[in-house]
Formats: sequence, C-alpha cells, structure tokens
Amino acid sequence: MIVCIAVVGHQNNPLYLQSFTEADDALKLHHIVHCSLDVIDERVNNPKKTGSTLNETYLGLLYPTENYKVYGYLTNTKVKFILVTTHLDVRDADVRNFFRRFHSAYVDAVSNPFHVPGKKITSQTFAERVSTIVKSFGLSSAV
Amino acid sequence: MGKREVVESCMDNLMIEMVSAYCNQFYATKPELAARRIEAIGYHVGHQLSERYTMEHPRFSDHLEAIKFICKDFWSELFKKQIDNLKTNHRGTFVLQDNRFRWLTRMSISPTNTDLSQDSSITTIENKALQATSMYLYFPCGIIRGALSNLGIACAVSADMSNHPACSFVVRVKA
Repeated sequence: MIVCIAVVGHQNNPLYLQSFTEADDALKLHHIVHCSLDVIDERVNNPKKTGSTLNETYLGLLYPTENYKVYGYLTNTKVKFILVTTHLDVRDADVRNFFRRFHSAYVDAVSNPFHVPGKKITSQTFAERVSTIVKSFGLSSAV
Repeated sequence: MGKREVVESCMDNLMIEMVSAYCNQFYATKPELAARRIEAIGYHVGHQLSERYTMEHPRFSDHLEAIKFICKDFWSELFKKQIDNLKTNHRGTFVLQDNRFRWLTRMSISPTNTDLSQDSSITTIENKALQATSMYLYFPCGIIRGALSNLGIACAVSADMSNHPACSFVVRVKA
C-alpha cells in the first residue's frame, strides 16, 4: 500500500509530493522524505565496495521506520524519487517496475515546454498518470 | 524514408526561421542579444532532452563519461550519427568534432561573385557570410550546454566551423 510518492530536485528542493492516504499527515510525510534525503546522500557518497550497486539508478530500501518503508531512486540528472509504503509484503521487483514507470511519467512532465525547470510540477496529466501507476502497484503479483 | 525527409526539412526550416526571426526582427540592431536568446532556447531544449535520453542509462561516474554519453547516445538520438572525434586536454577542455554536421549541410558559405575587382570587399563579404552562418551554431551550442548542466557539469560551449561541413564544438568545464 503506497502512502506517498515524492520528487526532489538536485538542490534538494521539493518538486512534487503526493500522498495517497485519507489521513491528513502531509507534515509527517514531508519529514520522512526530508530524512531520507540524508540517507540517499550517504549511500551515494560512500558506495559499498561490493560494487554492483555503484552506478545503478535504483537505490533500494533506504530505511524502515516504525510504520513505513522508504525506497529511493536517483536519476542521472540528480533528481530523487522517494516512495513511502506500509509494511505489507512489498516485492523489490514491484518497486523497480514502479520507479521505471514513474520515471517515464516524470520525463514526459518535464518535457512540457511550459514547465520551468526547478519549479514544482503542476501538470494535471502527470498527477493522473501517477495515480494510475499507484493504483496498479502490486496488482500484477496477484496473478 | 519519405517520412524522415519531411521531418528533417521541417526541422531545417524551423531553425532557419528561428535564426532569421531573432536576427532580423526581434533584435535586428543587437546581434549579441539575438545570439544569447537563441542559445538560451537551445539550453532549455538540451535540458529537457538530456532528461529523456538518460532514462535508461546507469549513473555517470565522472565528467568524461558524461561527455562520452553526449558524443555517442545523445548525438545519435539527435542526428542519427555519433561525434566523429573527441579530443581533451584532461584539464577540463573537450573538443567534439562532427565531420558532417547535419543542420549545416545545406548551407553554402561561398561569397557571391558580384565584386571581383576589389580584394577587400571579398573578405568583408566572406566575413559577413561567416558571421551569418555562425548564428546557426548558437542553438546546438545551447543544446550541449543544457544537456551537460542537467548532468551536473557547468560549462561554456563555443563552436567553430572553419572547415565546412565539419564543425567542432569546444566545451570548457568550469572548475
């Protein structure tokens, strides 16, 4: 169950934050996303010497909190995607798949000529695509 | 095959019209401002294109890898060919040479044969022709600069087309 998805720019400025629960805990989610930025920086600057994860975009599980799991993804243009989910069994392959589709939606949103790089993403189409991707998260595993 | 010709000629015409609009209409008396505007458009385009074309790529470990990406994948997405020659002085300057730069192949820079009697007028005509064609190089310079800055490399890009149709782009990375 996805709680929220966030996009953070290369100067750690928030570009997009969307929560998918009914509770009004936007502040707590902002805080979780903010903390995970430190974890990402640490992961990128001190790479594990057992090298296969050195230059991958998908960073994997960043850290578990008491109720949530936080996953990270860092693009080549230093834009970070942060995914917060609850503790139900979330498979790695599902998260990778999710990030791939989310990256594709992000690239389309940024290619909009009216979008100013560095400002928040205000596209309605992007929001709809993201909610479609979120809805279909984990459903393929049911088959 | 026909589809690609239509697309390419649309792109060529758009480039020609853009340069002509900025040089002759908007900033007719200030060619430096026109050049800067065109380069800024290229910067925005390069920024967005690099976002799209690095999607499938693992992260780059250093500047050289990013420049190699520009020379190979990025250039072949834009112009269906790679950069022919890459030189570097290993201190932040890279020269990317394209032996047949696609957007300039249809351009002739030979001066007109009106005034062959005076030598000085030939060189001024040649200079004017060279200056006119250099306006068309600001857009690709901007594209390269935008793509590199989105990858985290601040730089300055200039172009040189002394041997037409070969064109070289000089990238100076700001330390």
